[in-house]
Amino acid sequence: MQATNTYLRKVWGCRYFWLSLVGMDLRTRYRGSALGIGWSLLNPICMTTIFCVVFSAIWKANVVDFAPYVMAGLTLWQFISTSLLQGCDCFFAGESYIRQHPAPMAIYPLRTVLGGAFHFTMGYSLVIAISLIFHGFGYIGMTAILSLVPAFALLLVFGWSLAALFAVATVRFRDLRHLSEVALQALFYLTPIIYGPQQVSELLERRTVGWIFALNPFVPFLDMLRSPVCDGRAATPATFLAASLITLTCLVAAVVTLRAEEREIVFHM
Amino acid sequence: MSRIVLDGVGLTFRVRRHVRMSLKDYVVRQMFRRSINPILEVHALSGVDMKIERGDRVGIVGHNGAGKSTLLRTLAGIYKPSHGRLTVEGRVSSLFDLTLGFEMDATGWENISYRSYLQGETPKTVRAKRNAIAEFSELGDFLNTPVRYYSAGMMVRLGFSIATTIEPEILLVDEVLSAGDLSFQEKARERMRSMMDRAHLMVMVSHDLVSLAKICNRAVWLDHGHMMMAGPTDQVVAAYKAAATAGQAKAAA
Repeated sequence: MQATNTYLRKVWGCRYFWLSLVGMDLRTRYRGSALGIGWSLLNPICMTTIFCVVFSAIWKANVVDFAPYVMAGLTLWQFISTSLLQGCDCFFAGESYIRQHPAPMAIYPLRTVLGGAFHFTMGYSLVIAISLIFHGFGYIGMTAILSLVPAFALLLVFGWSLAALFAVATVRFRDLRHLSEVALQALFYLTPIIYGPQQVSELLERRTVGWIFALNPFVPFLDMLRSPVCDGRAATPATFLAASLITLTCLVAAVVTLRAEEREIVFHM
Repeated sequence: MSRIVLDGVGLTFRVRRHVRMSLKDYVVRQMFRRSINPILEVHALSGVDMKIERGDRVGIVGHNGAGKSTLLRTLAGIYKPSHGRLTVEGRVSSLFDLTLGFEMDATGWENISYRSYLQGETPKTVRAKRNAIAEFSELGDFLNTPVRYYSAGMMVRLGFSIATTIEPEILLVDEVLSAGDLSFQEKARERMRSMMDRAHLMVMVSHDLVSLAKICNRAVWLDHGHMMMAGPTDQVVAAYKAAATAGQAKAAA
């Protein structure tokens, strides 16, 4: 416990370095592009529009309810995707720094996750705006807004832990990123992002796939983020508890893995 | 009080014979089995004992692959020793490969910031030093273009200018005595000399035995990771030279 404390303090100690890398990543991504940062919003907006148009025709989904629902889910999925996939490569992206200067390894997954968090915040702010436009201002209660603070914190720690785990694993198995891309693609369709609440309750009753939806670890996070914008209420304490347990498990796994492998990472690159 | 103490320090890498593989290879070709993918133990350093106090300038000599750069990186904290105990007290500044650690798509100015932060500077101190760094590098307007368009010499100039603005307590130098073109080399040599004077203690790797003898008061001779000899520079260098020429004579015979 004390060792983790010292470690976190070391991470905080080089905060100027990893913050500057996050800034640089954002600047590099949008250097010389016409819309600049607007591009990161374009993807969720486009996907949401497509899904709404298609699903309102096929399943007669109500756009006013469905648009914030889908867009919140897509924004979250984008964050998890980025944390996991770009997290895989984060030690290689920082290879030249690792070889030059000793620094706690956790800062490299942190750099990736903070970049993802920036895009997530922008996307989610847009979802809130859309929800308020559709449902009227004052739809989202004060407790719901406040509940977003622990939700974001849990999400950040969750993303960081996932990125760290996959980064360490990718140093050993170079193709893990490609495998993860495929796995995430499949997992997307096994997660209630584009399925409305009605379809989900139907699916939960089916024995074949129902249990996947019930056990999907991303569901509590989806609920935490969708409740405020879709129902105007904060998610239930049970949801927060589930998300906390999942985050804690990932965090413990990440801490144990980093502690065991950190020393060896530079030798395997 | 700056000092470095090595107490039986050893560094052993355990690598598999086949590395950089995919998960498919690992499973299908059974690379997890010792018989197919044996573990190789590389003893990069063994049993290094040294005490370096304030005022010491230590040179490390040895053949290629003896472990000189490995030892230096272990002192810097990049490699953690697998045996023994390493104590490093004082702020470490290292001059290793100067062209590493550039973000290619960022401009010269931005890279000055990133690398300074990596060295432990804060935004305030960086702002104070930026112009001095830019002036020393003599890159002028090129600092506004992305580093990807720099020549190798320009990158070395920039890297050197950034790396040498630190106030060193412990200075670790890995064969960085040649940087850039002729006019810059003179400036660089002068700055290196001033850094070495200001540093509390210095450890340096070089194949240039003449400069080493001039700069260092102590030397260490490494051979295949083992410390063959440590002591006053002229004695160690003489022993190393004798062994090297004896080896050449044996090979020629």
